[in-house]
Amino acid sequence: MRLRIRFSKLGKVRFVGHRDVARIVERGLRRCGVPFTYSEGFSPRVRMSFGLALPTCYESVAEYLDVPLTPESVIDGHIACTGWGEGKLYSEREMQDALSEALPFGFDVVALTLEPKGGNSLQETVVSCGWRFDIPGANADSVEEEIERVLQSSEIETERKKKNKLVREDIRYGIHDLRFEEQSERGPVVIAELAAKPRVIRPSELVDVLAPGAEMGIARRTHQWIEHEGQRQEPLMPSKSPQLKEHTQ
Amino acid sequence: MPRTGRIGLQMTSLWPRLEPLLPRVEKPARYIGCEDGARTNIYKPDATSWLLTYPDTYEIGLPNQGLQILYELLNERPDAFAERSYAPWTDMEEQMRSSGVPLFSVDTHRSAAEFDIIAFNLSAELVYTNLLNCVDLAGLAVRADERDDSDALIGAGGHCAYNPEPLADFVDFFVMGDGEEVIADITIAVDKWRRTGKPAGSRVTVLQALAQIPGVYVPSMYEVTYQGPDLVSIEPANPGVPPGIEKRTVADLADWPYPKSQLVPLTEVVHDRLNVEIFRGCTRGCRFCQAGMITRPVRERPASQVREMVSKGLERTGYDEVSLTSLSTADFSDIEEVVTDTIDEPETCGRISISLPSLRVDAFTVGVAAQVSRARRTGLTFAPEAGSWRMRQIINKLVTEEDLYEAVRSAYSQGWHRMKLYFLTGLPSEMDEDTLAIADLAENCVAIGQQYTKKASVTVSLGGFVPKPHTPFQWFGQNEPEELRRKVELLRGRLKGNKRVQLKWHSPEASTAEGITSRGDRRIGRVIEHVWRHGGTFQEWSEHFDLDLWKQAMAASGLDIEWYVHRHRDENETLPWDHIHAGLHKDFLWQDWQDALAGYGLEDCRWTPCYDCGACTEYGIEHVVASPIPPNGGSQGTGQDLTTGHVVPVELRPRATVGGT
Repeated sequence: MRLRIRFSKLGKVRFVGHRDVARIVERGLRRCGVPFTYSEGFSPRVRMSFGLALPTCYESVAEYLDVPLTPESVIDGHIACTGWGEGKLYSEREMQDALSEALPFGFDVVALTLEPKGGNSLQETVVSCGWRFDIPGANADSVEEEIERVLQSSEIETERKKKNKLVREDIRYGIHDLRFEEQSERGPVVIAELAAKPRVIRPSELVDVLAPGAEMGIARRTHQWIEHEGQRQEPLMPSKSPQLKEHTQ
Repeated sequence: MPRTGRIGLQMTSLWPRLEPLLPRVEKPARYIGCEDGARTNIYKPDATSWLLTYPDTYEIGLPNQGLQILYELLNERPDAFAERSYAPWTDMEEQMRSSGVPLFSVDTHRSAAEFDIIAFNLSAELVYTNLLNCVDLAGLAVRADERDDSDALIGAGGHCAYNPEPLADFVDFFVMGDGEEVIADITIAVDKWRRTGKPAGSRVTVLQALAQIPGVYVPSMYEVTYQGPDLVSIEPANPGVPPGIEKRTVADLADWPYPKSQLVPLTEVVHDRLNVEIFRGCTRGCRFCQAGMITRPVRERPASQVREMVSKGLERTGYDEVSLTSLSTADFSDIEEVVTDTIDEPETCGRISISLPSLRVDAFTVGVAAQVSRARRTGLTFAPEAGSWRMRQIINKLVTEEDLYEAVRSAYSQGWHRMKLYFLTGLPSEMDEDTLAIADLAENCVAIGQQYTKKASVTVSLGGFVPKPHTPFQWFGQNEPEELRRKVELLRGRLKGNKRVQLKWHSPEASTAEGITSRGDRRIGRVIEHVWRHGGTFQEWSEHFDLDLWKQAMAASGLDIEWYVHRHRDENETLPWDHIHAGLHKDFLWQDWQDALAGYGLEDCRWTPCYDCGACTEYGIEHVVASPIPPNGGSQGTGQDLTTGHVVPVELRPRATVGGT
């Protein structure tokens, strides 16, 4: 069995990089006594597999993580904790609360399930991501016009760095959805669904198209979509809205 | 905005201005705070505010235990609160300067200048230019005499504060010794000043009050007299300030189980693990070691308290590694038991690594090695410090070759494949044969390792010796960079072709700059300011260090590197730190220097009768050591007769002759 976890990353912690997030989550799992497993070898590591890496500076309410558990630790749909959680037998909901509590300010576990191991990894199965981002200082009307133009075009060329060389590339095929949502205090807010295959298209690439010269403001990943029997769905639906815990000591 | 004494009321977050800068810089997580253990709701509008600042990057500064201890202690006080700040990396500094964002606290992102005190931790001399840069980024004048009455007070403490003179022009007050108790006295003095509203003319009053506190040095209250290049005296310029400043020492570490909530950073830092200080002070008496001289006596934490701090700390943080820190961890009375208990703790499931920094080879037994290796093996570093027995007698690092080989054998036999050996070069009276003996030791270690594993290897890390204030070697003329470089090359040539011994060395040029600042006097302040004004920040980072900048600064200030760094001092010379007291009698240090040259060893006084260095007797304190029994073979652990040195004292040769100093 394994735990599948969906968590959020909001506020100041959006500046924490993906590798650091993995270390933070590992410490949180250890604090709760999650009965995780270790890899073989000279320096064993805790087994964890994340969904698509989130770029540094991005927020998210849809981060995913699979944690394989030791077989003997799952009893009647409950998780028997070890280590610092020794003696605790948690339901999924209790495990979710405990892990939320153990993670630092800015992180919250919005869903957690016990499920059988197997199938492809999250990284392999995610086909697209939902995003919400703003473009501070950009003109709302022109952003709206650009969105129209993009949607009506069959090709959108962008420049991006590949091995230190600038290459021009069409990204239109990867723009599944693009909408102007609102004009916020900071600037126009855009909603998008962008392909994760064959490569991940980032909102920052769209900003170059919608408002050339502008910097992206705060971008938030809202969904990671997988395909299951021809249906587009999320690996886990949130069981609660993410809490931005009060940071207190 | 007019400044008032109640500046706390005006403190506002810079975060909205800071946030847009962060996507443009490397590793933005180092500027956000948010650590587990960070205090963000401690804001007390009517309390004295401290900004504890580490003048190097976040990654280097965050784990600093001294800063974290003071952070907790101040935040426990009803009349104070503390936040933290670190030197922004150059890319961030550029962003801040171009958008007018000043130095900020990482806890609540408030402007540094709004704090009552900006207190710097000085762990290394090469950060001095960063201190100036941080003060400037805070929007304050770097020179103390150009700051306004109501400006934040600039304080500094840490090991480098024991020679405060190079920074005397920039820092309002220095603290000598342990900070745990003195911060209360400082808070009370500054609180009084804050309540007056900090009117014109009030700064000198608060400085006067600070100068009365034992352990606090206010350099502007002291007058320096020179005769030509020579320093004649540093004496009180104001009545009522003491002629000498005595360090502060906490008598018993058991009273100070801090930090209780070690900060857990969100981004990777050095020493990224639980750190528990198991004792403070060291009396092994290594003559090059400033830390061992200024932190006496030995004060062990009770083993039960160590266990509790380890256990609670691991549970709270989720770390899977703990470091038991001290100046010589294997000397702790109950080290083997504490290590065993930590690994046997059921909650850690046998998955906790223990790292023991600063291991003395004669105390690293197979028992300790076996215990440590039961968990994940951490890196092992031994510090023989010198290659030949003659040299180790001179520096009083009285470990024999056999001690080293036994320790190395213990480690290889318990499954380690590689270890690091730390050495100094440029030591007093060092000959080429002493330098080359390092290679012999390293090769012999590898040979022992090969009896246990095909993969056996050794890394030799070579540092250029910089004489430090308050040590017996404070009178010694440091080797020129050319001479240090020659010795490095000598060793490199000798080890060429040996793939199992990897040689790493510290920049000889950086050692020169460290020498300028380490034993400099107040005139060196001009040099530090020059280097800073010409862009010389982050000087301990090789990509930013430039000796030419220091040479230009010395020349521009009319000062001579030879005189400051490479010249031997004599007994009667007034030293720039003579008015700063770590308890050590100057005649004790001089005698130890003479004994060094004669090759006489000195006992470790935690287990033998007192030889009155002054560190205990001056302050009426004593060692706190659980075990009164010295290790097998005598206090220095090797069984040799410490009185058998060279009969004829070694003469210091004229410098810069090939093959000796």
